[in-house]
Amino acid sequence: MRPILLSGHERALTQVKYNPDGDIIFSVSKDHVVCAWFSHNGERLGTYHGHQGALWTVDVDPTSTLLATGGADNTMRLWEVKTGKLLKTWDFPTSIKRVEFSADGRQLLGVTEKRSGHLGTIVVYEIDPDPEAEQTDEQSLRIVCEDSKPTVAGFSYLAHYIISGHEDGTVSQWDAKSGELLYNAQVHEPDMLITDLQWAPDRTYFITASKDKTARISAADSLEVLKTYTTDTPLNSAAITPVKEYVILGGGQAAMDVTTTSARQGKFEARFYHKIFAEEIGRVRGHFGPLNYVAVHPQGTGYCSGGEDGYVRVHHFDKPYFDFLYEVEREQAQEQANL
Amino acid sequence: MSLARRTDWAEEEDDDSPQALPQQQIIKNKDGTETIITYAIREDGKKIKTTRRIKKTVIKQVVNPRVAERKHWAKFGQDKGKPDGPQTDTTSVAENIIFRPVSNWKASTEDKNEVEKKKADLKGAKIKCRICSGDHFTTKCPFKDTMAPDGEPTPAEMPDDAPQAGGAGGGSGSYVPPHLRGRGGAGEKMGGKFERDDLATLRVTNVSEFAEEQDLRDMFSRFGHVTRVFLAKDRETGRAKGFAFVSYADRTDAAKACEKMDGYGFGHLILRVEFAKKPTT
Repeated sequence: MRPILLSGHERALTQVKYNPDGDIIFSVSKDHVVCAWFSHNGERLGTYHGHQGALWTVDVDPTSTLLATGGADNTMRLWEVKTGKLLKTWDFPTSIKRVEFSADGRQLLGVTEKRSGHLGTIVVYEIDPDPEAEQTDEQSLRIVCEDSKPTVAGFSYLAHYIISGHEDGTVSQWDAKSGELLYNAQVHEPDMLITDLQWAPDRTYFITASKDKTARISAADSLEVLKTYTTDTPLNSAAITPVKEYVILGGGQAAMDVTTTSARQGKFEARFYHKIFAEEIGRVRGHFGPLNYVAVHPQGTGYCSGGEDGYVRVHHFDKPYFDFLYEVEREQAQEQANL
Repeated sequence: MSLARRTDWAEEEDDDSPQALPQQQIIKNKDGTETIITYAIREDGKKIKTTRRIKKTVIKQVVNPRVAERKHWAKFGQDKGKPDGPQTDTTSVAENIIFRPVSNWKASTEDKNEVEKKKADLKGAKIKCRICSGDHFTTKCPFKDTMAPDGEPTPAEMPDDAPQAGGAGGGSGSYVPPHLRGRGGAGEKMGGKFERDDLATLRVTNVSEFAEEQDLRDMFSRFGHVTRVFLAKDRETGRAKGFAFVSYADRTDAAKACEKMDGYGFGHLILRVEFAKKPTT
């Protein structure tokens, strides 16, 4: 496995994302620029300029025509993927920590930061998928989180629910139509920030990563914790791989503690766990700072990670990755072959 | 440089502008590879020639038409107008990483490997005490205060061991330098013969430089039978160096003397008396 190193950013990466076809990777970093890259060879397609502050989040719509970003300049922006043209800017009183399109690309969700008297909110906009169209300024839904600040959020299957992760380690389930709080569950340790929420391909369950050094898979309907993956380092990101039943976790010591430890102790590795057996099966090293985000190729052929060190590393999996089977899995496959 | 026809070196210097760079050359080799030679001028003004030999392999891949279309999109932003293919300033290939999932992967397999390797190395090398030949470090030896290392006979052993020690070195197998072989037999060590019971020897320091061995013997024999008094003297001036050893026949006498004489005023100085060797019990 020979990783491709993307060094287009000058500051720490905050999020990286594949488009649904997996041919383009979008990366955002604290240096105010969004980059688009071809995933197969690491060629940079272009950059999107306009943000005035650090960028926290990026997402692309299902047809790869629209790109949404949010950042510390208190704006959420919509871009045309193909040309890098800025289509729309929404202004907010505080910064945007997370954006996500719904599975059909008709709705865009944004999570705003809780700061200077403003409560953390989750806002939803209706999106016209035509890049020429005028986008609405009107929020179709606005959820104000009075209890705890939301850090991450996403749409469940069929945009039934909005699931949000909070800074106190809880996960909330909201009705995506009415904005009503349906259920709240303490998924992670109390007062441990949830740093990431990523969906399984069918959006019926999701994985959350937390500073409490664990990642957990929960069901979207019941918020029941299905699996727990325990590590020895605070986690910044977790992703579920299609094709093979694995999860990839990324983390490392907080950026402020890094200078006091060596890279070996910093645990700046992508950790692979078996999704079902919740056992660690391997690690991929390479970054020399904490991993801020890991994203998996939608077809499961590779993954990329964005690190505090300012690099994106794109990996294409080798044969051993696909060949690996547990003893029980191998027996099962044997039985099925015999039938 | 392809400017060999020019003879005047001074002129060459002037005309050597960046425009004079030769064109990029692409040579098709017989074995299907290509050699690309490019020229560039470095920041320090020196010309560099880069020769790359590449082999092109066509890998056909069936992709979604959407994906195929996107591959022909024009570049924009900072990459506007850049040629096709990855640019070296933003994209590079990292070193190969071997990733092989295993079912019983231990959280710190890699860490442990290094530590354990070192431990295994140490296991192979046997630890042997130089004093008692036991399997511990010499400094940890329980006999380190009472016995000298193997092959260097202690003063106490000297008279008995002298004949054997003269040969290959005490029979312990370890090498003994020639000047140490047979040492002790001649009794040429400072102070000559040593008392057997090392534990009854006192070290006296801060002794006046006008002191005489006899003075010390008189003073210390008040507490018991003194078997030996050694006063270190400067070889040239013949004056005392300031320290002495006093050996008693009995350890209790030595203890008594140590207690009484420590802090005793002698000459114009205050003596300091302590056991030459700490008792090991």
